Amino acid sequence: MLPENITAVVTRNETWAGVAASEPYEAGWAKEAVFFVRALKQPVGMPAKAFVDISPDGIRWVPEGTEFTLPSSRDGISVARVSHFGNWLRVRAQFDDGAECTVLVTLHLKA
Amino acid sequence: MNEQTNTSLAHDLRLALLRSDPALSHFDPLPRIIANDSFAKGHCGWSQLVGNYEGDLDTMLPGYAQHSSAMLSTLSHWDAGSHGGMNSSYALKIATKPVAGSRNVAIKRHTFRKRGPIRLEAYVTFKPEANELKLSETDVRSFGFLFDLQGGDQDGDALRVMPHLRFLNAENGHHTQKWQFKQRTSDIKPMGAEDKIVSHDHLNPNDWQDLPGGGQRLCYNEIPTKVNWTYLCFDFDLETMQATGFRCNDRVFDVSGFESIKIPAMKNLWCMLNICLFAETDTNKRAFLYVDSVCLSGDF
Repeated sequence: MLPENITAVVTRNETWAGVAASEPYEAGWAKEAVFFVRALKQPVGMPAKAFVDISPDGIRWVPEGTEFTLPSSRDGISVARVSHFGNWLRVRAQFDDGAECTVLVTLHLKA
Repeated sequence: MNEQTNTSLAHDLRLALLRSDPALSHFDPLPRIIANDSFAKGHCGWSQLVGNYEGDLDTMLPGYAQHSSAMLSTLSHWDAGSHGGMNSSYALKIATKPVAGSRNVAIKRHTFRKRGPIRLEAYVTFKPEANELKLSETDVRSFGFLFDLQGGDQDGDALRVMPHLRFLNAENGHHTQKWQFKQRTSDIKPMGAEDKIVSHDHLNPNDWQDLPGGGQRLCYNEIPTKVNWTYLCFDFDLETMQATGFRCNDRVFDVSGFESIKIPAMKNLWCMLNICLFAETDTNKRAFLYVDSVCLSGDF
């Protein structure tokens, strides 16, 4: 049987501001993960700093260490690749006051 | 041997084969198995129910905009580790957002070959997110399932028919524990300007009705991280577009008072046979519906 892979849409057409994060996603079966964050609308203000978070339980989160910057223009796409992440994954972003971005967050997992 | 003996022998042989097959013996499928989903095999075609839209995602109805992708889960908990499924480590997990009234829906899309009996069987369980050290038995509002059906393009009686059933576990903190169905959807709204795409939120919170005799106390277990698998079996006849049976564990319910949502046939959904599974939360806490396995079978 071919190894499992999946594209999960974890956040769609949500406007992020302040501190925002995707919903927890269980991916313990996967060896590698790629987050894509696409700006569906023209972002407002400075592009946010984003972080991949991991978790022992889906409730309490710690930074995995991967950092990236969200898109600065509409239809821009930012990418984060991670492996060795245990079970739980999410993307968290921190925006300056007044900044925002309407995002499509997709998580691509491969066994 | 006469014909009757042959039929009886075939029946007995089929039953013996089913009951000796560990992958199927926990189900009672009709003669043809359309899908037998066990989530150690992957997502098995269960995806998120995305709402309709045209031109701009902002046109999607809010009820659908909140949906996200289901995931493969080992039912991992902070206090006891991975719970696992019935026959493997994995279950499909449908998770709401942590906002009271939120829902999430997973869907599998088929078409049918013949208008006849179909049976949906599943082993499921539900819990809220275990972020409080208390029983939390009224945090999950409901879980449920539905078929989304439409007759064939040559059928004179074709309607879009959507039988819905949910277990209303709790509502506004009251531990109701009863099965409900619904006969009405929302208004059908056009998406965009091209008059080609419409949408209606059939899982909106309104118009649920109690299934007569549909009270049931399920096994919830004693803390939020202990789960027990519950058996569901729903029978529907595509010929008459009527429910013919429903059971949950040891209880068999009378469906003579059950009715489906029925709306005019849509111009591009002929022979549709979709299954949805959903969860709703009653509090600002994520509700989880876990699905160990699903079997869809038919008599054709």
